Amino acid sequence: MKIDTAPTLNGTSSIPFDMPTTNRPMNLGQSMNDNASRLDGIAKVTGAAKYSSDMLLPGAVFIRFVRCPFGAANLESVDDSAARKVPGVLDIDIQMKECQYNGQPVGHVVGDSPAAAARALAALKLTWKRLPVKTLITDSITKAPEPTEETKKLMAGAALSHDAVYSTPVQTHSSLEPHGGVVDHKGDKATVYASTQGTFSVRDGMGDVLGLKASEFEVICEYVGGGFGSKLGGPGKELTLAAKISKKLNRPAYLVCNRAEEHLDTGNRPSSRTVIRLAFEKDGTITGGEIRTFGGVGVAGGGGGVAIPSGRYNLGNVDKKHEDVKFNAGGPRPFRAPGHPQATFAEELMLDEIAAKAGINPLELRRKLFKDDVYKEMLEVGSKLIGWKDRKANGSQTSVMRTGFGIGAGGWGSASPGGNAEVVIHQDGSVESRTGTQDIGTGQRTTMAICTADSIGIPLSLVTVQIGRSTLPPGPGSGGSVTSPTTAPTMMAAAADAKAKLFEVLAKEAGANAADFSVKDGAVLRGGKQFLTWKDACSKLTADGVKGSASTGDGGKGASQGVQFVRIDVDTETGVIYPRHVIAIQSCGRVICRKTAESQIIGGVIQGLSFGLFENRILDRNVGAMVNPNFEFYKILGPNDMPHIEPVLWWHGQTGVKALGEPPSVPTAAALGCALFNAIGRPVRHMPLTPDKVLMAWEGAVA
Amino acid sequence: MPDSPRSLDEPKGFSRRSFIKTVGVSATVSTLSGIAEAAAIEHERAEETPVLGPGPVPIRFTVNGKAAQVKVEPSTTLLEALRLHLNMTGSKLICDRGSCGGCSVIIDGKIMNACMTLAIDAMGAKITTVEGLAKDGQLDPVQVSFVRHDALQCGYCTPGFVVATRVLLNDIPKPTLDQIKHALGGNICRCGTYTNIFNAALEASGQSPIMDQKGVTA
Repeated sequence: MKIDTAPTLNGTSSIPFDMPTTNRPMNLGQSMNDNASRLDGIAKVTGAAKYSSDMLLPGAVFIRFVRCPFGAANLESVDDSAARKVPGVLDIDIQMKECQYNGQPVGHVVGDSPAAAARALAALKLTWKRLPVKTLITDSITKAPEPTEETKKLMAGAALSHDAVYSTPVQTHSSLEPHGGVVDHKGDKATVYASTQGTFSVRDGMGDVLGLKASEFEVICEYVGGGFGSKLGGPGKELTLAAKISKKLNRPAYLVCNRAEEHLDTGNRPSSRTVIRLAFEKDGTITGGEIRTFGGVGVAGGGGGVAIPSGRYNLGNVDKKHEDVKFNAGGPRPFRAPGHPQATFAEELMLDEIAAKAGINPLELRRKLFKDDVYKEMLEVGSKLIGWKDRKANGSQTSVMRTGFGIGAGGWGSASPGGNAEVVIHQDGSVESRTGTQDIGTGQRTTMAICTADSIGIPLSLVTVQIGRSTLPPGPGSGGSVTSPTTAPTMMAAAADAKAKLFEVLAKEAGANAADFSVKDGAVLRGGKQFLTWKDACSKLTADGVKGSASTGDGGKGASQGVQFVRIDVDTETGVIYPRHVIAIQSCGRVICRKTAESQIIGGVIQGLSFGLFENRILDRNVGAMVNPNFEFYKILGPNDMPHIEPVLWWHGQTGVKALGEPPSVPTAAALGCALFNAIGRPVRHMPLTPDKVLMAWEGAVA
Repeated sequence: MPDSPRSLDEPKGFSRRSFIKTVGVSATVSTLSGIAEAAAIEHERAEETPVLGPGPVPIRFTVNGKAAQVKVEPSTTLLEALRLHLNMTGSKLICDRGSCGGCSVIIDGKIMNACMTLAIDAMGAKITTVEGLAKDGQLDPVQVSFVRHDALQCGYCTPGFVVATRVLLNDIPKPTLDQIKHALGGNICRCGTYTNIFNAALEASGQSPIMDQKGVTA
């Protein structure tokens, strides 16, 4: 078999596209490409990939926001005389106003170097009058709401009941590439280098600020250093200000947030508080009750929804009410499966507590309560892979290190907002796939090439991909896991269209029917027999080649499902949890690229573990400032904290490409919480599951 | 501005003292209580050494085998010198305080955070960045393994991990999984690529990747 090679580095070295990895034999279904490596892999491992934050253009100016240092404060006076004397300072603008959260911008400074801007910021003399702050949901909701009369009656008459409060903290996206980018306004045209999940939403939001028509500027995001939801929704305040400054000073304007600003003012997963009151029977049948949820949305008007009941389990007749609670903190933005990981933590741990009260194995209870057979099948496979038979009864172990097993489930509806794509077949046999949609690390560039190669029937090495530019055919924003379900069928249709046009050219020349032609393994067949090599066939084209295009509209694609199993060890002397093994079973329809699909699942699990174990935006309760706006004290799971993670792609005859980005991040923290309950025999209902909480629960358990 | 060849060619003895000098010797003395004697010696040496800064000073080092010179203020970090002044943007500015490893570079054989290293402290040093790992058009085996095992997603942390893995394999040619985790413990990836990074490090050192359990088929 011919080795398919990737573009070369400096023209001499090449690494094969066809790079099988043999260490995941469980994924036995067939993906469109099992062995392809990421197209932009070489650019990323050599440092050649240019992100928007790498666009350090000659003559650029550097912008910094001036931000409120307190949770609530009134800016009473500004003395910028010293700041204006800092060498290299070009512009200072500060608005007097009352601020409602730490990190809220009140203005900006501009310097001709990062150091000049930083020195000007330090030289500003601002007088703030602090105001009282609220920093938690529980500052407003001081106790659990009274149950309704109906619930009281139901609980009183039930054989068993469960009444508990669960909570999750604020999690920040912590994309490693900060928000912002570079705007280079040249008067009658402009280039916007954006770190965004929506190339076209930036384009649509930029025109007015730039004072240009959409055809007069280009938004470029060839590489995006993560987003996880926080880079959706247009240019944002960062690029908007950069555009204004670039236009005003007629120089490229660079505005990229620092790490503290990322934690404070670029979105987050809102905190949650879930009050559950359910009645159930001795066999685990849940008859119903009420669930009250609260979302901690900071200063935002909403977005704190908690997706419980998830609908995956039969919970009887549940009365659900939700309320968003405001306090003095930066507001949320969509974060990988908004509302789901926090809800699943409450739902799954609640189920394990109900199972314990009813004396049923949690696996058995889920078999009974799952509505969809897919989840039940996943339970059987996953429980074997994790070794569920070795699970000990809750709290029954006596050693210092105790092992726990937990289960979590997650689902996600797939949608497709519609998009556009073009495929050009060139005279030399090379093929170009074009769609403006960005690759935020999911593998969009690679999947587009695979779709094109697969649809035409040619080796991947012939395909190049252009993405992440507003001048390319418009595609969707990378949110809601819609990108692949939208762009894959669109790109395949565009490739098929280009192929049909090639066949028309061949048919005309050969005096045959276009329908007689086909492509197989890189050769053009006529009437099923070898006719021309791909290169020879393409040489019949004119210098322009042929261009295929396709547009798709709205469409739903059904749901993706997943079940995860977690095994942990807990040190009962220190309270430290050691995750050991995670089985992540995930359905996602037809898999385009096996490696990037597995990576999505592994990544979702890691973010879920990090959420469950460590992450917590902590605000000082007196002044409302975040005390850990960094990576030392806002801990993210690192290499040393890693369990063995096994992604299992569930390919049971599903067709069509479905959501994969969000669903794997839903069940993990929940499964972790269940495993802890199993290990120490007491639930820890408030994330993150830090050693102090484990020890407090443990002391309760042995008392 | 003094531009003494002696000081430029004397990286080790030069850096800390001169940096402190730029901040101000009196400030140093007042903050480091109980070491008046050391301060006096420091002061004496500062007298003999030309004053550099606070304005831009020329700094020479070797980057990826080529001589490079930047003229930057003594307070400039090596990361800023690389990114802004040499336009080598492979090393990333992520946390700016040594807690994520995204700016990892190799200085005289040792892995360092370029955001926590002053350019002036690297004077005369041999620096290797992610851009310098591929040689003569051939990728480093670590880079090939990273691509093969999909040890990257958004790719922003990747240069740091590639550099850290290279240094690990220089020090320990066949590391265990625990040694790999430990050596990469200073790096953070938000997309969650650690599993594949471990596999890449194992493969690049001629070892088998972590195997999944067998015996059950989905």
